[in-house]
Amino acid sequence: MKNNASLNIIALSSTALALPGIALADAPPTQSTISYKLSNYQEDDLSRSEAPLGELDRYDIDVHQFQLVSPLGRNMSLHVDANYESLSGASPWFTSRSLDGEPVVNLSGPSGINDRRTELSVGSRYYLENGSFAGNIGYSEENDYRASYFSLNGERHYNNDLTTVSAGLSYSSDEIFPTDAELFNRVQDEDKQSTSLFISVSQIINQLSSFQSALSFTEQSGFLNDPYKLRDIRPDDKTQIAWSNSYRRFFVSANAALHVNYRYYHDDFGISSHTSDLSWHQNLGRTFQLVPQLRYYSQSAADFFTNVDDFLSPLSEYQSSDYRLSAFGAVSGGFSVIADMGSWKATLTAERYLANDKYSAYEVSEPSTALVKYNRLSLGIDFKF
Amino acid sequence: MSPEPKRFSFKAMGSFCEIQLFDESPVRAKNIAKQLIDEVARLEKKYSRFREDSLLSRINSSAGNKAGLAIDEETQSLFNHALNCFEQSDGLFDITSGALNQLWDFKKALVPSQEKIDAARAHVGLHKVSCQDSHIRLPRYMQIDFGGIVKEYAADSAASLARSLDVEHGLVNLGGDFSVIGAQPENTPWTIGISSPESKNDIMAKIDLINGGLASSGDYERFFMHEGHRYSHILNPLTGWPASGLRAVSIAANLCSVAGSVATIAMLKEEVEAKIWLKDSGLGHVYMDSQGIVAGADLKNKN
Repeated sequence: MKNNASLNIIALSSTALALPGIALADAPPTQSTISYKLSNYQEDDLSRSEAPLGELDRYDIDVHQFQLVSPLGRNMSLHVDANYESLSGASPWFTSRSLDGEPVVNLSGPSGINDRRTELSVGSRYYLENGSFAGNIGYSEENDYRASYFSLNGERHYNNDLTTVSAGLSYSSDEIFPTDAELFNRVQDEDKQSTSLFISVSQIINQLSSFQSALSFTEQSGFLNDPYKLRDIRPDDKTQIAWSNSYRRFFVSANAALHVNYRYYHDDFGISSHTSDLSWHQNLGRTFQLVPQLRYYSQSAADFFTNVDDFLSPLSEYQSSDYRLSAFGAVSGGFSVIADMGSWKATLTAERYLANDKYSAYEVSEPSTALVKYNRLSLGIDFKF
Repeated sequence: MSPEPKRFSFKAMGSFCEIQLFDESPVRAKNIAKQLIDEVARLEKKYSRFREDSLLSRINSSAGNKAGLAIDEETQSLFNHALNCFEQSDGLFDITSGALNQLWDFKKALVPSQEKIDAARAHVGLHKVSCQDSHIRLPRYMQIDFGGIVKEYAADSAASLARSLDVEHGLVNLGGDFSVIGAQPENTPWTIGISSPESKNDIMAKIDLINGGLASSGDYERFFMHEGHRYSHILNPLTGWPASGLRAVSIAANLCSVAGSVATIAMLKEEVEAKIWLKDSGLGHVYMDSQGIVAGADLKNKN
């Protein structure tokens, strides 16, 4: 609840905190928080006209996320994250042309995919007078995939804490060992590495608004193909750049905040994308918050995207019918209800996502037949103690 | 960890002060307490109105000097906070009210003439002071007094120093301005009794503090009655008259410095407006109004 009196208090705190004898260290958490979040992600099934043969069920994923954030001594905090995902359904195996010339999707199957992913990551943050440093290591395992990663980042406040500059790097080493590799003549054991760097600046403009801008570079090398597709050959090196911006503004009279985000992405597979989203965080008293959200996304196709796999082209030629490499647009709308009861907090979110080549802001020379529509539902509970 | 805190009392800034520390080693606790007391003494020496050799006295005697007086970063920060208090309170909280203080004699309970009040008010107004490029420039006859800020700042500064010396559990109390170094062991809050303005020995409320600070403002035995109104020793710079709103208010906030500023502003506001403003502030607070009624909110404050 923000009003003139609490804005007076925020303003008074800003100069009091700038007093040299006080110079509060960047505050580590004083309480522990345990969070649990259950999400269900369900892709709409395909219709028979899109996939005349085989499976119609696409992915259905349940995700359980646990998180513990706890103070560790006076200047440090401990972060432990554990995730468990169970995934079932089928993913596009290859696309072909039907007898009347229309492209059709063939989903993997008939047994489809049943996979589980478990992930554990542990990190710690050390708080200094004007900023903090953090490190984190993690491990994730699936039936056919292993990833080990670490990240390091730091942030520093300037200008009476009104400006924050942060930077970090992360590295991940992944191993892919497809199931039934011999049966389907898939690769047996491949690996890839990803290195990522980011820098971000956030600025508190005044008592009511703030702005953040971040730039990230990611370099991936190794096996970047989809081993489950019948014909999927991609370069073994990919450079990605992303520029993200976010603006937040609080409206005293409405007791609500507007969040506006925009992200530009480009990689050397030839994909560029724009993402913009808009959300309105409406406070209702001290306990409840309602958050409607709208997002628009559009990307261009990778240079080697083809909607119909060409089994006659030489193996040295790049090609992929992965719908995620096609040109398309997507709109999604969501709604969250947040109840904050001091030591307990619950968040319920529902989202509907529709991808379609017709929504694309880029030219679509070859639409993908396998674009997804999905529903996502999640419930999160945080408990402070 | 010893179950009882070690207590060190001393006199500073015209008040009874006390530091409480939980530490296994009595020698280390004493050594730390000494450093905290030295820090409070340093600020008192620098900003006392009653010491001719203080920086504050030199600032005041430079009034009218167009070149101004060079000041350090700490003084600049205190001035910035004072200016912020002035702006956030629409001119009620004003460290240049000194000329008015000299006019009102609360012991004799004499009301000065309106002419004299108006003449004194001409030398009041923080917006007339320039403080930039590490120099402060006071107009002629103007005086500043950091009294309403320095004691709270000293409490925060001592608490911050204690934390940097690895004290995890402790409390600084400078004459009723409290700054928490850290909660008592096992995250037990410090329970602070708020004296009634009617008698310092009566507790009118209790506030629990886990961190942050608590400060009070009130007319505690320093007031006078005039034509049926009770006037405190706290002067409203806009009217030149003492405030006659709330009789006492205590605030819990993220810092003692913030709590002190909020408490002073609340005392200077009109009674009804002050009550609404305090309620909207979202801070833990307790007050006694002009009818002697005690009220408040969020006394189990975690700030």
